[in-house]
Amino acid sequence: MSNLLQEIETQIEGAKSSVAKENVGTVREIGDGVARIEGLTDAMYNEMLDFGDGVVGLALNLEETEVGAVVLGDFTGITEGQEVRTTGRLLQVPVGKELLGRVVNSLGEPVDDKGPIENDTHYPVEKIAPGIVRRKSVSQPVQTGIMPIDAMIPIGRGQRELIIGDRSTGKTTIGVDTIISQARLNRAAEEAGDTNYRPLYCIYVAIGQRQSNIAGVVDVLEKAGAMPYTIVVATSASDSATNQYLAPYAGCAMGEWFMDNGMDALVIYDDLSKHATAYRQISLVLKRPSGREAYPGDVFYLHSRLLERAARLDENYGGGSLTALPLIETQMGDVSAYIPTNVISITDGQIYLETDLFYQGVRPAISVGLSVSRVGSAAQTKAMKQVAGRIKLDLAQYRELAAFAQFGSDLDAKTQAQIERGKRVVEIFKQPQYNPLPVEIQVAVLWAAQNGYFDDVAVDNIKDCQDKLTDFLQSRKTDLLKKIKTEQVVSDEIAGQLKAAVEEFKPTYTQ
Amino acid sequence: MLRSCLVDGGLDEDRVRQVVRLMLERKPREYIQILYHLHRLVKLELLRRTARVESAVPLDEEQQGRFRDVLGRLYRKELDMSFEENSALIGGVRITVGHDVYDGSVKARLERLKGQFT
Repeated sequence: MSNLLQEIETQIEGAKSSVAKENVGTVREIGDGVARIEGLTDAMYNEMLDFGDGVVGLALNLEETEVGAVVLGDFTGITEGQEVRTTGRLLQVPVGKELLGRVVNSLGEPVDDKGPIENDTHYPVEKIAPGIVRRKSVSQPVQTGIMPIDAMIPIGRGQRELIIGDRSTGKTTIGVDTIISQARLNRAAEEAGDTNYRPLYCIYVAIGQRQSNIAGVVDVLEKAGAMPYTIVVATSASDSATNQYLAPYAGCAMGEWFMDNGMDALVIYDDLSKHATAYRQISLVLKRPSGREAYPGDVFYLHSRLLERAARLDENYGGGSLTALPLIETQMGDVSAYIPTNVISITDGQIYLETDLFYQGVRPAISVGLSVSRVGSAAQTKAMKQVAGRIKLDLAQYRELAAFAQFGSDLDAKTQAQIERGKRVVEIFKQPQYNPLPVEIQVAVLWAAQNGYFDDVAVDNIKDCQDKLTDFLQSRKTDLLKKIKTEQVVSDEIAGQLKAAVEEFKPTYTQ
Repeated sequence: MLRSCLVDGGLDEDRVRQVVRLMLERKPREYIQILYHLHRLVKLELLRRTARVESAVPLDEEQQGRFRDVLGRLYRKELDMSFEENSALIGGVRITVGHDVYDGSVKARLERLKGQFT
């Protein structure tokens, strides 16, 4: 027996003093944050490489005699001939609830001044998306608080909905509004002690944005009290292309943690056009062959593997979800460009924002005809389905009729009524930014519109009338609103009460 | 081209010389670049077959023989051994075979310790 113990002890001693094998290469070329390293015969794809002094790189090109790697962080200290070691680790980021309320970079390091993040859970940045067995179809809504979206283009938990439009048409605003709406719902459920409500945590990923824009978004979220439920992954235009390329994957990994632990999360990628540009830069410097618009051949896979990671998991796998809202900036409204068509084909629908509408004052400038949600009404509450079921079709018809009516021909009474109703619905759908509406208010207002209670109000006064009706309902009819929220259906009883409430309000409203 | 210079998995020096001579005689298109590339491949191939053993104090015949045995067994091929004295290592040995490094020197351990503190 003592022999055995001695044997084990010698083996442990031997293990302690044993020398680990290291795989070493030498830098042959360095420029633009991309290094070509001779040797490193054991390097794995996407492995982290140690350049010494805390600088790490990512092996992206494994070639016959050398490895092409992108450097994360400061690459100015790297010189030709410098030794580089493999680490045997894949790139990973910290994940968990500790990150909520924080602004981090694409490596998960805090960039706000709130001190270090205490956590010990990490997820790899690149991960294969959940398979068919683990998935479930989308059925629960994400209440964006933006009336035209919740009514006509509903987004479900686990869905991927593209927000597309020209510069400054309000793409980011839709994302930020959605975050604010989630924060309000989460907080309301927390305060009411509602355990049935599944909080939705948000991750805002800024890719190559202006620092001032990122600061602006963080400021808005802070003021709206949304930061405690939000993680901001920020890479600015001054960050290296590598960091911009990694940011969405890092944000996605943070969201996956919530999904894997049975919670719901929403990621906003702002925006994927800049992401594709950053990837193009890396690919060109790595001397990968370029294709259309000089993007590399795998630019489709770049986005498809990212967006496929959004999913709704089956109850047997925790029932969590990850919703993705990618943003794409178009040039002159051209949705048929390379990257927009790619992302349109990957996602489950798109919200198309139009410059013309924006300048006409229709904000959010959602184009009803071109926007679609392929999940459809499966992700709507019954109440919303009842009041908004026909609204998309009505609005599309209104647009057609309105164009026709411009010829000045006489219109029959029915067409006239349709046009008048359409004008009012367009007004009702206008909504100031950072002001998401709760679903019960949306249902009540849309019910009133559908039942013709706004028909006798002048179009210019619709917004005023709607605001006053909202005030009236929130101050005098809280029970009714609560009922709509909890029952999630416009039953005959609720319809009756809504009718009574609106009829009580109407005489008090003077234009 | 490199493959034609290999005999039993090892590089045959005469064949390499022959290839270079033929290239210079026939001068195919871009032969200079091709030769540069061949030079690099040969360099890497030679590196893969060479074991460099650095030690703080000179190693005697017996120790050298043991290194030769162990490394030969590990890589399952005969390696060209070169033994060097490097007092900067302070103690221990550092072996380089191709791109693999086994660093058991006191210097490397001190470096590792330094890394743990910073």
